[in-house]
Amino acid sequence: MKLTQSKHFKAFSEPLIQNNPVSMQMLGICSALAVTVQMKTAIVMALSLTFVLAFSNLSISLMRNIIPRNIRMIVELSVIATLVIIADQVLRAFFYDISKQLSVFVGLIITNCIVMGRAETFALGNSPGLSFLDGLGNGAGYGSVLIFVALLRETLGAGKFLGVGIIPDFLYRAGYENMGFMQLAPAAFIIIGLLVWLQKSLTKS
Amino acid sequence: MSDNFKSVLFALATAVICSLLLTAASSGLKPFQEENIEVDRKKNILKSIGLVEDGRAYTFDAIKSMYAENITSMYVDEEGRIVEADRAAGTVLPIYLFTRDEAIQAYVLPIDSRGLWGKIYGYLALESDGSTVSGFTVYQHSETPGLGGEIEKSWFQKNFKGKRIVDHEGNFVSIGIAKPSVTVAMSEAEKANYVDGISGATLTGRFLSAGLKEILSEYEPVSIRFRSKEMLLKPQEPKAQEDGQ
Repeated sequence: MKLTQSKHFKAFSEPLIQNNPVSMQMLGICSALAVTVQMKTAIVMALSLTFVLAFSNLSISLMRNIIPRNIRMIVELSVIATLVIIADQVLRAFFYDISKQLSVFVGLIITNCIVMGRAETFALGNSPGLSFLDGLGNGAGYGSVLIFVALLRETLGAGKFLGVGIIPDFLYRAGYENMGFMQLAPAAFIIIGLLVWLQKSLTKS
Repeated sequence: MSDNFKSVLFALATAVICSLLLTAASSGLKPFQEENIEVDRKKNILKSIGLVEDGRAYTFDAIKSMYAENITSMYVDEEGRIVEADRAAGTVLPIYLFTRDEAIQAYVLPIDSRGLWGKIYGYLALESDGSTVSGFTVYQHSETPGLGGEIEKSWFQKNFKGKRIVDHEGNFVSIGIAKPSVTVAMSEAEKANYVDGISGATLTGRFLSAGLKEILSEYEPVSIRFRSKEMLLKPQEPKAQEDGQ
């Protein structure tokens, strides 16, 4: 069997584009609006979510046969909350400035529908290895949308890439101006909307 | 074993494991976090007097040495005299002095004001004339991101520079946050005592105005001494204290 057709590869690759959590399932939109003003915060947020998602999927999948059904959600939530707090603590210890910019949004990963959704629909019914890959794939799918949106917003809105100015001075002198609108949350809405439209119209044919 | 008992047992086990993990993460990372917080506080003190620019990256060592060179952490007693804590009688307030060439250039007051959702912590620096604001910074708050949270942004903070805490006759009036902006709401005489507010964050502005007024009145005795030019020289034997809350 070829690698691209194996179950494990599919668990990882499907959420990247075909079944992308943001652009196809419309999950995690709120944080995608909030943290995409700059590339740096978007990358850190994407990594944090991927970490939480992969390990929550892994641990819930490991426990899937012994979790009592009636307290299933509560157990999932405590696992997710623990991982989110650990991620937040690590950011505060080693990336203090970025963690200040992300403010509440790292903590809000707990309420990100992607995490709970994957735990419920995937990790409870699949092996740990598959679940871990599914978590990585969904995290990467979410992250790629975030980074794409942040790329547009930072270049058009601030004329920068990862905090470094990329629009040459002579353009500014010739009358070019940064699009202030891109710095605001509605811009992310419009970009994500266009992205969804693009993807749906491409995949239809 | 009944199902209910099993559920309780499982929940208990999950809770214990999760809390152990959290304790380990929190206590293991604490030294790093505390260093970050301390450097961030020093950076904000330096920012309030204009030595550190917003948006530039500084190494920890650069901040620490700049702080050690320029800032002296002292206390103010009830009559507005600058003292060291151990010699002071009665209640004392912390103050940070920016000294250069043996003279006090500015003094920095720690701000802890009520905000809408929690406390707002920051620094307000006043020039040595005792009435002009040299800068304002916020290093910790829990206001709504995008609304009240804008108090941490430089567009809001830079408006404080050059504003005055006294009216044109020299009487103390504090500094306030205007609603919605200085140009719309204020008479000519009041403009120097107000900064532009944040739309959508009326309450944050109101709480911060009240907090600033309260803190500035507490420090008014020392500000009066600065205004009457009693305190332009560096205090005697200023032991550089590492850190004073």
